[in-house]
Amino acid sequence: MTLPERLIPYLQVLPLTLVLLLFLGVPLAIVVVVSFFDYDIVSVIPTFTFQNYIELFRSGLTYDLYLSTLKYALIVWAITLLIGFTVAYFLVFHVRSLLWQIALFLLCTVPFWTSNIIRMISWIPFLGLNGIFNQSLIALGIVDHPLAFLLFSDFAVVTTYVHLFTLFMIVPIFNAMARIDPAIIEAARDGGASGFRILTTIVIPLSKTGIALGSIFVIALVMGDFFVVKIMSGGQSGNVVFAMSNEIAMLQYPPAAASAVVLIVIVSLMVAAILKIVDVRRELAG
Amino acid sequence: MAEMRSGRRPWTFYALAAFFTLFVLFLYGPMSAIYILSFQGPNGGLTFPLNGVSLKWFYALFQQQRTGDIAGSFARSIALALIVLILTVVISVMAGLAFRRRFLGAGVIFYMAIASLIMPGLLVSLGIGLMFQFLGIGTNWYTSALGAHLTWTLPFGLLIMFAVFSRFNRAYEEAARDLGASDWAILWTIVLPILLPGMIAVALFGFTLSYDEFPRTSIAVGPSNTLPLEIWNMTTNVTSPALYAIGTVTTAVSFLVIALALGSIALIQRRRTRRVLQTSEGGR
Amino acid sequence: MSDKRTMVESSGLEPTGGWSRRSILKGAAASAGLAAGSGAITGFPTIWAQNLKDVTLLQVGGSYSAIIDIARKASEDLGFKVEMQTADHAALLNRLVSQPESLDIADTEFFFLNYTVPRGIIQAIDLKKYKWWDQVVPIFTKGQYPDGREVSRQGINPYEVQYVEKPGDKTFAKGPTGWVTGIPTVYNADTLGLRPDLINRPIEHWHELLNPEFAGKTALVDVPQIGIMDAAMAIESGGDLKYADKGNMTKDEIDQTIEILIKAKKAGQFRAFWSTFDESVNLMASSEVVLQSMWSPAVTAVRARGIPCYYVPLKEGYRAWGSCIAPMAHLKGLKLDAAYEYLNWYQSGWQGAFIAKQGYYTSVPETAKKFMTENEWNYWYEGKPATKEIKDPYGNHIEDAGQVRDGGSFWERMGNIACWNTLMDENRYMIKRWNEFIAA
Repeated sequence: MTLPERLIPYLQVLPLTLVLLLFLGVPLAIVVVVSFFDYDIVSVIPTFTFQNYIELFRSGLTYDLYLSTLKYALIVWAITLLIGFTVAYFLVFHVRSLLWQIALFLLCTVPFWTSNIIRMISWIPFLGLNGIFNQSLIALGIVDHPLAFLLFSDFAVVTTYVHLFTLFMIVPIFNAMARIDPAIIEAARDGGASGFRILTTIVIPLSKTGIALGSIFVIALVMGDFFVVKIMSGGQSGNVVFAMSNEIAMLQYPPAAASAVVLIVIVSLMVAAILKIVDVRRELAG
Repeated sequence: MAEMRSGRRPWTFYALAAFFTLFVLFLYGPMSAIYILSFQGPNGGLTFPLNGVSLKWFYALFQQQRTGDIAGSFARSIALALIVLILTVVISVMAGLAFRRRFLGAGVIFYMAIASLIMPGLLVSLGIGLMFQFLGIGTNWYTSALGAHLTWTLPFGLLIMFAVFSRFNRAYEEAARDLGASDWAILWTIVLPILLPGMIAVALFGFTLSYDEFPRTSIAVGPSNTLPLEIWNMTTNVTSPALYAIGTVTTAVSFLVIALALGSIALIQRRRTRRVLQTSEGGR
Repeated sequence: MSDKRTMVESSGLEPTGGWSRRSILKGAAASAGLAAGSGAITGFPTIWAQNLKDVTLLQVGGSYSAIIDIARKASEDLGFKVEMQTADHAALLNRLVSQPESLDIADTEFFFLNYTVPRGIIQAIDLKKYKWWDQVVPIFTKGQYPDGREVSRQGINPYEVQYVEKPGDKTFAKGPTGWVTGIPTVYNADTLGLRPDLINRPIEHWHELLNPEFAGKTALVDVPQIGIMDAAMAIESGGDLKYADKGNMTKDEIDQTIEILIKAKKAGQFRAFWSTFDESVNLMASSEVVLQSMWSPAVTAVRARGIPCYYVPLKEGYRAWGSCIAPMAHLKGLKLDAAYEYLNWYQSGWQGAFIAKQGYYTSVPETAKKFMTENEWNYWYEGKPATKEIKDPYGNHIEDAGQVRDGGSFWERMGNIACWNTLMDENRYMIKRWNEFIAA
């Protein structure tokens, strides 16, 4: 059975399209439509109004929340990039046997098999005033009283994000680095290039797809999260999706929908920007 | 893999190894709290101090005490995650293959996948619930929740496939075609093996993302909760170190699985090397 | 097997066990003399339908109420399947609104009725078919204490949302009728919890929560509607502001409250805002806070770890809350009959005793009393010292002999309600300002 060459890609992309249309397209369409509705305490009123968007843009809170969320996103992105790159580099270039590579890699993934929520709850006995970390610091004599800022603070939020999401940076970069032809590196070394030079002129450029992907993942994950911030900041920080979840909890759908549309647009722009720098799609056709 | 001159390792190796060790300690740090506290005494709680030591919470996992339906929701979450894993890999690979050529709507589908990544999970859940209600179908963990999970994992899968294909050397395929291989044969014997690391990454993400997923599932889950939901709901009531017992058990099981997997890989490698040495006198 | 059963039924001959009980009850139920006494324990189901056992009822609610053990006991006693599923408030509300047919019994707090009744999501309960209403505590049936005083109307007082004129009504009736919106099931009076070993003086007023003496060692609950009322109790008790209705603030009152809160937050008054039960327990148990808004079982949980914790009765009163269960609007026919069976079973005592041991009250205490030991009843309801150790429903030790329940007897606590959990008219504005407070 030979299918016409032209049709094959359409058939191949069909499952994806179906799933997306059904399970994303419908909710997305509903969200966009509802964002233009009005509402009162009892129900959502189908009209067409820009009121939700106007209120959103006029409110100082919106900007504060976005600033706060972007701050987290950028800090977490930078840290996970640093850690992810270094770990991937170590695994690919310094670990000799394939078996060890896989073993160490899997070692990093094991914590992920434990549910996110359990791991989040466990930060409290770890970072709390009476927690393991503080007790160790005191036992080692580094400090003489427990550090309060470790928990329920921005530090705690960022730490948790890094803890949860670094894997998403490691995996794509690892994949990208693993494809670098070792011959190129050998040639460069024989040509007299220093380790640093090899890093900047060969390794980094050749892993940029991995870096771009990891960045997209981490940023999307942080921008879309709400309960890490809620719990780890002890409720002292807000972020965009958290405010949205409060509105949804009150059945205030129109402003939540407007908020969601704005968020999707903004993060899509961020992703598009990353893809402009590293055109993952163009490399595909090559 | 790139190999340094064998024997002497550069100082960077030790520096990086130290960094790696620190990272692993960081990852396992809070886990240590989990492991220790899962042996919490019968009257103890979720924080230190340890009130005695016991195995009580491990037993509690399998009984449906005040711990809620841990056993049931755990089974559901695992089953769902496995289904999601398989579907994500299959659909992502197919879509990745599709995107190698130009076709109508490629851009739209791509950005829909991105939107799927970004769209707040609560709204996805709500939308799916509304849709099922409208269509008169009951929501369930293997229907509506499955769809919700796929909207989360497929963008990851797709993007990883993009990255994998971007370094894909078409020369192999063309060579195989010149030699007369059919499309299917090319797929099975050349493309998929090369894609394998990428597929494993997709599988890994697919499983973990589904297993941990919370907002997208919350409203559209149907009459029985998945594990993250059950745990989250329990947090409005007395919870117990049984949660930590879950963490310890899953870690132990993971280590076991990994040890088995690595052990078998090592075994296969050794056998393969032996065979190669046997068939080609003198080895490579 | 089923053939044999039909034969047996029509012949009037009974095999052993359950069937004979059922046929007796079938006749006895017709006579009104079936008092709660003998019927309560073995008297279910009181209606007879062959395929009643094929019915499944799904109840969804908070994890403090939708407890699996209750479902199991109900299934056992009733003969048909009852299932429970937990859901947090936000998910539950959204599910009620978007997928009403995906559950059968809605287990929600009273203020949810403000959402569900106008939308016709649940159906009114016919008091002729529900047999315990006369024994329900007058707080719910009449909005009064037994001595005739009116219960505080601040917030959403359950009495105000308890009745409708007739089924299908979207607004509430002003007084008692024959149709109720929900059966009150679980409720309690909330106050502040504290560490008596870390605070050396008696705490008697809500305003201590904002006392700079405890800066960095207090916490509020992070649910806006509840947190803001706890804050309002503290602020009003300190004399800074007088509210017309703490449960329904005006924009102005909200603004002033948030201003005070923001100032306190910036001055470092609060260590954290907890959103999960465990957080509150952990905060208290690990000494991160010494005074915070808390829920009753959390206090018990802290004490169960051997750490002293006191649920302090304050002069200004308690903030009360209550849950109720109601059948969804789509139930009819056999399933609706099963639902009424279930509602009657629910209040017949077993469930009441179960939750009582977690510190919650049931609206029909007299039936629960039968399932509790005298010691337990005295401790949980009468405010008397325990004669033996007190255990939770799972057999864990909670309290030693000789201890008295914090706050005393049922009427000492539920008789001093300052306000109820609520849903304000200015809710949207309040949430917005609360978000600002959190982000500050």
